[in-house]
Amino acid sequence: MFRRLSILASLCACAGAMLAQDLSTIQIHGFATQGFLYSSSNNYLSANTSAGSLAWNDGAVSVSDSLSDKLRVGIQLHVYQLGDLGGPTLQVDWATGDYKLNEHFGFRAGKFKIPIGLFNDSQDVDAVHLWALLPQSIYPNDNRSVTLSAMGGEFYGRAKLEKNAGTLVYRAYAGYRPLDLNGGYVKSLDLDLAALDVEFGLPVTLVSDAPPGNIFGGDVRWQTPLKGLLVGFSAFDQDIHGSGGAIVFRVARNTVTQQYAQFERGKFFVAAETRRMPVTTFATVTTAGGPVLIPDPLDWRSWYVMTGYRMSEKLQLGTYYSRFADAGAGAGKDPARISNCSRDWTVSARYDFNSYFYGKLEEHFFLRQAGRALRPRHRSRLLRRLEPERREAAVQRSGGQDRIQLLARFED
Amino acid sequence: MKKRRLSILIFGVALGCTALQAPGHAQNVVVIVNSGVRETAASRDDIRAIFTGDKSSLGDGSRVTPVTLKGGPAHEAFLKTYVGKGDAAFRTGWRNLVFTGQGSMPKMFDSEAALVDYVAATPGAIGYVSKATDVGKAKTLAVR
Repeated sequence: MFRRLSILASLCACAGAMLAQDLSTIQIHGFATQGFLYSSSNNYLSANTSAGSLAWNDGAVSVSDSLSDKLRVGIQLHVYQLGDLGGPTLQVDWATGDYKLNEHFGFRAGKFKIPIGLFNDSQDVDAVHLWALLPQSIYPNDNRSVTLSAMGGEFYGRAKLEKNAGTLVYRAYAGYRPLDLNGGYVKSLDLDLAALDVEFGLPVTLVSDAPPGNIFGGDVRWQTPLKGLLVGFSAFDQDIHGSGGAIVFRVARNTVTQQYAQFERGKFFVAAETRRMPVTTFATVTTAGGPVLIPDPLDWRSWYVMTGYRMSEKLQLGTYYSRFADAGAGAGKDPARISNCSRDWTVSARYDFNSYFYGKLEEHFFLRQAGRALRPRHRSRLLRRLEPERREAAVQRSGGQDRIQLLARFED
Repeated sequence: MKKRRLSILIFGVALGCTALQAPGHAQNVVVIVNSGVRETAASRDDIRAIFTGDKSSLGDGSRVTPVTLKGGPAHEAFLKTYVGKGDAAFRTGWRNLVFTGQGSMPKMFDSEAALVDYVAATPGAIGYVSKATDVGKAKTLAVR
């Protein structure tokens, strides 16, 4: 029941990042990373980590051009593999036209990275982080595609405050995004759907349709008069839809809030974030006896605190503590109960061999994995909302256990 | 386990305190701009914001585009004096902007002479060189 999970993650990454070719105003940049995951017990992030796994890589190429001093266009293509997630398909990470009228007002349109907290928009850019894995309570690797980017528009700007009170940096956006059918979120829904299908005697199906869900929100950060201290707040409103076979699922419109602070001075930095995501998922199963609605209320609360120090130009060390709890508003969930929370204590080192090549070595001490898209022995959340006897019958009959083993590969 | 966590935390705080006590560096670089830029002076905060990609104009609204050296004493002195970061952290900041679609990498030069030539010839360009370097037709920007 209570299981401590230790993971050693070693990442050797080639940031060909700065292999830039200046063709007049055109810039081309790229990076490629290869990771190695090893866990002392159990498997993690859908990879076979207890035996050591190389199934963790990322790569991206961006091309941008400044058409004038106010207008810039660009596109970035991204490919990733993490265990059973992702694949060889190139995805458009972002593709925008960016018009900056002045410091107070700029506008981007197209597919843009969503600004949430300190790292949401850069969580798939390994080259810019000390960490191999960002705090998973707020930036889960197997679930990142849900809020990474959106089609639509955003405006941005900054305003210097009177009386040397610092600077406000602001962004607001609206758009939509389809679900990544190869991402962890959809893979976990696949397991939910399979279990429900069996429970209701329906053919087992996967998520086949994930039409765009809306998202809109904003981010405001205050660069305080104290040099290096940043304080910020993000909020966004979203909904998600999809279907597979006789099941239609919907994540009701919900508002996610995130607060953060960062202090950076010289070689030292410390940062902390907290996020709250109250959300209810509904699954509607069409049966011979009529539609059955299964609600699943969640109240995810996450936070972390991290610090790092650059020992030299090449070596950077850091540590963080990350915590997640599901308070399950209205569902009678106890956030203090171990099955509803997870913790992660991490130590990390990054060594930059030169401007283009670096390596990371990181160790995590995990306690449980509640809140992950793919958890140990993934049991359908939706299925748990059914009566106990029907639920157990469904789990036993689902055959989904095989797929569960395939995806989560956790063993007691 | 608790003892280990406590040790790590104390280590982090100690390192942080050490960093905060790091001495400043003497100003031995000058900031230069293309002669077409009307502004003659800028605040230290503005220089920092321009070279970290946060801003793209000077106080009078003049649009500027930063260019940098690839390395060397002038580059290191500039970063420590005006940006408050080392080269690795400086590049990481720009990579963050580039790979999230928020900015373009500054043009980088091997030599101060090449940087001066570029700034002198390119409207809106802003860079830095050693005090001893001849800035030619570029204009020196006073930093308050």
